[in-house]
Amino acid sequence: MPQEYAAQGQARQERRADEEHQPVERAQAQPQADALDQVLDDIAATLETNAQDYVSSFVQQGGQ
Amino acid sequence: MPQLRDSGTHALTGSDAAKVPRSPQYETGARIFGIETEYGVSMTGGERHGDARQVASTMFMPVVAQARSTNTYLCNGARLYLDVGAHPEYATAETRDPLDALVQDLAGESVIRRLALQAQQRIRSTVGDDAIIHVFKNNVDSAGHAFGCHENYLVRRYVPLPVIERELLPFLITRQLFSGAGRITDHGFELSQRADYLDEAVSSATTRARPMVNTRDEPHADPEEFRRLHVIIGDSNRSQFATFMKLATTHLVLGAIESSVRAGRASGFQACALADPSIANRAISRDITGTALVQLAQDRGDEGMAWHPQGVASALDIQQHYLDIVRQAMAADSHAVAASLPRTDVVRVMDDWQELLDRLRANDVDALADKLDWAAKYRLFSALRGRGQRIDAWRAQQLDMDYHDIVNGSVYPALVRRGMMRVLASEQDVERAVGQPPADTRAAMRGRFIREAQRHGARFSCDWTRLTLTEPVHGEVVMLDPFDAGPSEAFDDMLAQLEDAAGQTQ
Repeated sequence: MPQEYAAQGQARQERRADEEHQPVERAQAQPQADALDQVLDDIAATLETNAQDYVSSFVQQGGQ
Repeated sequence: MPQLRDSGTHALTGSDAAKVPRSPQYETGARIFGIETEYGVSMTGGERHGDARQVASTMFMPVVAQARSTNTYLCNGARLYLDVGAHPEYATAETRDPLDALVQDLAGESVIRRLALQAQQRIRSTVGDDAIIHVFKNNVDSAGHAFGCHENYLVRRYVPLPVIERELLPFLITRQLFSGAGRITDHGFELSQRADYLDEAVSSATTRARPMVNTRDEPHADPEEFRRLHVIIGDSNRSQFATFMKLATTHLVLGAIESSVRAGRASGFQACALADPSIANRAISRDITGTALVQLAQDRGDEGMAWHPQGVASALDIQQHYLDIVRQAMAADSHAVAASLPRTDVVRVMDDWQELLDRLRANDVDALADKLDWAAKYRLFSALRGRGQRIDAWRAQQLDMDYHDIVNGSVYPALVRRGMMRVLASEQDVERAVGQPPADTRAAMRGRFIREAQRHGARFSCDWTRLTLTEPVHGEVVMLDPFDAGPSEAFDDMLAQLEDAAGQTQ
């Protein structure tokens, strides 16, 4: 089971989001910019393909 | 062979109904959650182009081989079928917690992905090795056909339908601030995939039950106790956080509505009633700041009119009002609200909900980009432009679609791999859910029944409330209470008979 949001007995009432994950996120700001650069590198091949062909090939026949 | 029975209501009627004992969960705040996801399909590469129908039917060949139908239930309790318009569709088993519903929905992605990869192999043998199958967990194709991701919530019957509609719709329309999957349209970047296609659904939801709540009123439960709220105005999410939060927050709002009706007082949500939900839905989708003002209804009740008496409010204002009331409901009965979800920490949900609204108010999209689909896309497009990459309309649409391709997409897996998208469920959780039903709903019996019937080569059929055995022995078990994981006496008897009969024939 996913743990992050799992209630943990009595302790759960005292948990505060701002104590738990905000400082971590702020500390990661610089590495995140690097990670984003890596993501752009990872998708480079996708950016080389024929976008119009890719998009136009997706036609369903009506749903719902 | 599983023969699919229409999942219509098999409600007990007349004198039978009186004999059905109340679900023990009727008096609590517990809920049943389910997610139905329609997928879009396409193929690129290869010598010949395949259409959606060909791709979908190839994907379902192994399903037909086993079930003799494109419509079947799986041993994790889910329903898998090929919907009108060549959409593979996966309806999760009944779950009691948004975390479980999330994992079951991801198990659905895994099942569909496997079928697609098998189909890709098969198709490559005829059209060439560069054929690529795409399965989109999104809501619009390139020609503007819209399709859906539907959420199901079991709601206590004492809440009148008009109350659900009036009090829930403003929440559903404004929650796209965090549940929207994002899309580049002719109007620019929008929060929602579907806002432009839902005019009719949204506008008629205010006047009649049809689009927002299942017409045929199939609660798949005791109709004296529950109705099944069938929400169609949501996007399909790849973000696990968004899927989880949309279910968890909707549950908390429904819980507050239920307790206000039970206590015979107004919930306070009527203050947010919208003058024109359809116009509001579009306006909010086109404003990623969440601050555009929408008109509130003329008549919002005496108390309601005191909130934003000038008659306008932003999506952020409305979300904040819902959260404030949910917090009050929690304060009034914190034990019951905390106990309404067996696994999720509801305090954490409320804190994160507030955090989302605060970040939006601060216009801090980057802080949301690892949590929300629309923000992830928005950040990606900004980064590409920052690199000087030329993004024309086709490229933007391609990247948008690629983000939703659960089989051969590159954007979403790269974001996860680089730690740029939060993941709540492990791969092990998801793989386990491919083979196992949730343990605390009737899906546990359905899953076990299907596994045993398949193991013995029996002929059987099922639907959400019923398990039927036709060969080698006849038997039927009705499971009207979705909270009841059993095994009931009747269920044990039927499996014992199957065991005996199968033993004799061997």
